[in-house]
This record gives sequence, C-alpha cells and structure tokens, in this order.
Amino acid sequence: MARSLFLFDMTFWLYLASLTLYVAYLFARRPAMAFAPAGHPAEDFDERDGAWATQLGQVATLVTVFGWMVNTAALLTRAFERLEHSGTFAPWSNQFEAMAYVSWAIILGYVLLELRYKIKAIGAFVVGIGFIAMGAASLLPYRYQTAEPLVPALNSYWIYIHVSVTLTSYAAFAMAGGLGVMYLFKERAEQRGSRSRFYAAFPDLETIDELGYKAIMIGFPMLAFGIILGAMWANYAWGGYWSWDPKETWSLIVWLIYGAYIHARMTRGWEGRRAAIYAVFGFLMVIFCFWGVNFLLSGLHAYA
Amino acid sequence: MNSRPETLSEQDTPQTPAPGVGWEEFSRELVEFFASIKLAMFLFLFIAITATIGTVIQQGERAETYIQEYGEDAYRWFLRLGFTDVYHTWWFTGLLGLLCVNSLTCFYKRFPAVWRSMKQDKVSVSLAFIKGMKQQAEVVVPGTKESIAQQLAQHYVGKGYRVLAKNEAGEVTLYATKGVMGRVGAHMAHLSATVIVLGGLLGSYYGFQEFGVCLEGQTYHIPRGNFDLKVDKFWIDYHENGAVKSYNSTLTVLESGETKITKTITVNDPLVYKGIWFYQSSYGDAWDQIEVARVNIKDKQTEKVVKTIDLEWQKEQTLSDLNLKLAMTDFVADFAFNSTEKKVYSKTIEHANPAIKLTVNERSTVQATPWIFYQFPDLFEIKDSKYQFELIGYKPKKYTGLQIAKNPGINIVWIGCTMIVVGITLSSFIYHRRLWTKIIPSGASGVTVHVGGTTHKSQIDFQKEFRKLTEKIRTLEA
Repeated sequence: MARSLFLFDMTFWLYLASLTLYVAYLFARRPAMAFAPAGHPAEDFDERDGAWATQLGQVATLVTVFGWMVNTAALLTRAFERLEHSGTFAPWSNQFEAMAYVSWAIILGYVLLELRYKIKAIGAFVVGIGFIAMGAASLLPYRYQTAEPLVPALNSYWIYIHVSVTLTSYAAFAMAGGLGVMYLFKERAEQRGSRSRFYAAFPDLETIDELGYKAIMIGFPMLAFGIILGAMWANYAWGGYWSWDPKETWSLIVWLIYGAYIHARMTRGWEGRRAAIYAVFGFLMVIFCFWGVNFLLSGLHAYA
Repeated sequence: MNSRPETLSEQDTPQTPAPGVGWEEFSRELVEFFASIKLAMFLFLFIAITATIGTVIQQGERAETYIQEYGEDAYRWFLRLGFTDVYHTWWFTGLLGLLCVNSLTCFYKRFPAVWRSMKQDKVSVSLAFIKGMKQQAEVVVPGTKESIAQQLAQHYVGKGYRVLAKNEAGEVTLYATKGVMGRVGAHMAHLSATVIVLGGLLGSYYGFQEFGVCLEGQTYHIPRGNFDLKVDKFWIDYHENGAVKSYNSTLTVLESGETKITKTITVNDPLVYKGIWFYQSSYGDAWDQIEVARVNIKDKQTEKVVKTIDLEWQKEQTLSDLNLKLAMTDFVADFAFNSTEKKVYSKTIEHANPAIKLTVNERSTVQATPWIFYQFPDLFEIKDSKYQFELIGYKPKKYTGLQIAKNPGINIVWIGCTMIVVGITLSSFIYHRRLWTKIIPSGASGVTVHVGGTTHKSQIDFQKEFRKLTEKIRTLEA
C-alpha cells in the first residue's frame, strides 16, 4: 500500500509543478512570433534574451508527461496491491482511486490535445483541474485511500468497465469546463482591450469554443455508455436496471444537462460565451454527481 | 438534431402562407412545435431539475418520517405534488412521454431529408449557390474540364467521399458527400428514447419484482412460475480482515417434485429459470427462528446454576439427572403480545427484545410453557418448579434475502440502449460534409474550379480540410 501511496503523492507534486510551469509560461516573455496570431504589435514587448516562454513551455510539457507516467505507475501499483488484497484489480474501486484515475484521464486528454493542436496555454486551465482532482484525492483521510476489500455488490467484472467509462466521461467534461473558464478569461480580456502578455499565448476564442465542444462530444456518448453499463450491472446484481437511486439519477441529470447543451448548440447563439458558461455549469454538476452525491446523499452507491 | 436551415432543403419546399388558420397550417404548426429543439431543451432541463427532487427528499418513506423532518404542512404539499414518489407521478411520466413525442416528431420531420440525401442527391447547383457558402474558393488551373474533374473526383474518393458528377456543355459539376451516418445516428438516438420507454412500460405491466426472505432447508412455491424453489444452503464468506466477501445460496428448482436445476447464486451471479431471475440480494437474522439457545438452569433455593444447556430448535432434550425434559418451541426477536388474539408475535425484525418459548416437563408432574426473555431474566417464574430458567444467549438463524424478478421488456430496453449509444457516438464523431465543385473552362488552356462546402458541425476541422483541399486543387495539372 505504501508503494502506491508514495507514487500518488509524487503525482500530486509533479502536477503541482507542471501547473506552476504552465502558469509561468503564460506570464513569461515570449518571442515576437508568438504574438502575431493574436494580433498584438510586437514592438511593445521585449524580444531580446528575456523571451524564454518556449523553453518554459517545453519543460512544462515534459513535467506533465512525466507526472502522467508516475500517475500511470501509481494506478498500476495499486492494481497489483488490489489483486493481492481484494480480489479485483480495478484501480478505481473507491473515491480516492477514482479521483486519481480521473486526473490521469484529464492529463492524458490534455497531453493528446497539446500534441494535436500545439496550444500550451490550455495547460494552465486543464492541468489545473487535473491537479485539483489529485489534490482533493490526497486530502481524503487515510482510511479512504487504502485498498480495502470490495463489498460483495462491487466485486464483479462490471466494475472494470462501468466505472472506468463513467470516470473517463467525467474527465472529458472536466476538460470542457477548463476550456470554458479559459474562454471567459480571454473574452473578458478582449473586451477590456487588455494587452497583457498573459493572454497573448491563448488561442483565439473560436478555437477554445470548438475544443470545448469537442470535449463534450466525447464525454456525452461516453456518459451514456457508462450509465447504460451501470443499468446492466444493476440488472445483474440487484434485479432492476433502474431504481432512481441518487447516484444514477444524478448521472442522468448530468447527461440531460449536456444533452440540452448539444441541442442548444444546433441553434445559433449557443456558441461562445453562453456555451462557455454552460460548460462550466455542467462541470459543477459533474462535480456534484461525483463528490456531492457520495457525501451528501444516501443511496445504493453510498459505498463508492 | 440538425436544425440549421439548409439552403437546399428550403429550395425543395416552397412555403406559401395559407390564408386564415386552416387545419393544414395548424397541424404544421403543431409538428413544428413538437419537433422543435426549444421543446427538447426545455424537456431536458425540466426533467433534470425535477429529477433532483427525488434525490434530496427521501422517496417512499412513511408519513411520520416526512412530518418529523419537514413538518405537517410541507408533507401535505409533498403529497399533493407527489414528492414522496416523484418518479412515478403522472406529471413526471408525462414529461418522459412528451420527450418521446418530441423526439419522434423530430424524426418524422427531419429524417426524410436525411434519407433523401442518402438516396438521391442534388448534383446541379447554381454557381451562386457555391459562392454563397461559408467555405468556398476559386482556383484557376491549367487543363481540360474533363481531366481536372477526373483528378478531383479521384481525390474525393480517396478521401472517403461519395462522388456524383454531371458533365454539361459548358461545365462539369461534382458533388461529394461523406459522413451522412452522423445524421442517421442522431435520429437513431431520437428513436431510442421511445424504444426504452416502451421496454420499460412492458416490464412494469407484465413483469414483477418481489423480495423473499428464505430459510435454509425450506421449499417455497413460486406461483408466478408455477414451480418450487428449495433453499439447500446459505453461507457467508469472509475476507481475512473479517469483512464480508460474499454471501451465497444454493438453490434448487423443483417442478412437481422433480429437480430441474441447482445453482449456487451469489451477489452478481443470479439464477435464471423460465424467465424468472433469482438474485442474492441480502441476508440477515431470522426473527421467528434461531438455531441454538443457551439456557441456564438455576436452583431456586440455592440460586446457583446447576446446569447450562444448549437447546436446538424444536428438539426435546432429556436431563435425567435433573428429572427434566426441555424443548425450545418458539422464538420472537422483538416480543409483543396481541391481547385480542392472544398471540405472541415479533413487533419488528430487529432483535430488540428476544425471547424463547420453553416447554418444560419436570418429573412428569409440572408442565409449563413459559416465555423467557434474554433481557429480563426474572420476569417469569414457574410456580411449582424447582428451577428457574434463564436465556443467556443464542445463535441466530441466517435468512437469505432473495430478489425475485421477471422483466419481459428488458431486451427491448437493451435494444434502445444500444441504439442510443451507437446513435450518439455516430453523431458525435462523424459529421456530414458536402462539397460542390464546378469546373468551368476559362482562358485558352485552363479551367476555373469553384468549390464550396458545408457541414453542420466541427467547423474548425472542416475549415482545415477545406484549406488542404484548395491547396490540392492548386497543384492539379493537365
């Protein structure tokens, strides 16, 4: 147990470091080239030796990838520990492990996004959420962090797929939420005509908006699949596929909220600011579904 | 899901305003309303909001529980609005029904256009139509219109597009399309809502769900299946640290005395026979039976324990040295007495006030059947007896809690679920793209390629693809 907890701890510090680096990257002086797409006059800024944003960005990416690898190692170690103690190896069998898995998925999603779109500014927001997830997990009391044996109802192969799919959808919504916050920052800066170098590295509003939409389009079918896998499991374990227990009801609520968003986007006017605010709101609902329900409401998933 | 007005389909259906409010106009308005995305959004959000009620207010509790927590006035409102069982109220069911109507009407209104675009597409469009598109470009390249058209068509096919061409005197028009399944998927998801609700209704009308408390060794008749179920064995497995690992029951199905099937069920592994599922749902201590009771026999005069014996359930024990015959004939977990029927019963299923009924036969002269209490050892006394009996402990008998369910609608629900997952996955990851290209000879040995395209989503990706396409056209040669 100590081994995986050490690795989880290390993941936490590495994500903190990578978040710091991404934020520093935003504040760093950058070469004139970087300003051109954002439409800022380059002569306002220092483009001599002081411009070290590129190097910072590279280090940030490296640290993030390393952190993600440690996170992977932590989950794998935990899987082996579970195999020894509790008859399953799913490293997402309690709240702590689930949080660590969600931050793993968020960071993986972010790294893929950075590889594909080469936009590092997003890191400050999305890696931020991954870090918060990991941080919240490490704040849980020790007894929640250990790999206790599973209660009989959870001890099934369904836990591998139902839980992982659902948690991955949460990660996608987390990314959309982070992008939503980023959009709102950038939009405010544009409205005030801010020339701060902070915003210069941000992609344009349309790109942020579209990426956020994409994240939701990944999360939405995944959540549907996760809910349905849960229904199949419930049918197999409890004799009813839907019992309106708080957790499943809340996951349906979250799904409906994003369903409304996807339909809203089909009509004009639900892009940009509104969509960004909505994505942040949706993510808050995800947090409630993931955390709030477990601690505030009672029900069949109370053990999760 | 796709409401973006398409220039093409608008051309197909010219709208002439009808004078006055005729039935036709009314029904069109009705379809418009029920197919609208606004209604869909309203329903999604309203169902989401009302669904929270049942997660905050405990559902299906007894009246006292609500009154104690929320007060009497609030409880009266709860009853009026159905807040104690939100998900089965007429208005919540109505909302779900409305969602079905909404998605079906949307399918009815919009799917034919998708179907048409799968079956037959409009190749000929005007040049103005291409120029009016959000993504459009104009490139002059050398070559004849036929050879350029040939090369372009090959390029489109290579990119996975389906291409239709029309060669006319002064121009060649190419139409390329890809990803119409994305739209089909959306409509598949729309239909799934109704399929799932139908499956659910079928299950709730023709299915059942019951809970059975069963004891080891007993046989129970299952009237719904017209067969018997025998509980051969029930046991609990533990982890090293003492936590429950699993609990299991070995069940045998008997049909007119004949063994049909034997299976050990455990949580997550039910028994299925003739469409009826038996789930290992829970376990607990029986409230009307125990396995063994430990009884102290005290001498009344010396107040000393002369013997401690373990009595098994309904088995008489002879103690010849004390001239006693003892048996435990009954047990209640929470003693209560019904004075009108003169009957002893267990008030709750909790072991709050356990008591056993002893049948005492002393020297064949004193006979008594006293209830003796675990918590109140001095309550009863047999007058003529030499002894005082005390219940000092007992080993409870475990019952196995079986969930017994039949759901003939379940497969329909799974079909609906598959449709929704496949449908929204298709519509999330595949987007419908359409490109029109006109190749018009211009100048001495060249052609002008006009290309325009639309998509209903993923504008950024499409923009990139379109940019690459225009670059590709520039490189075309005769």
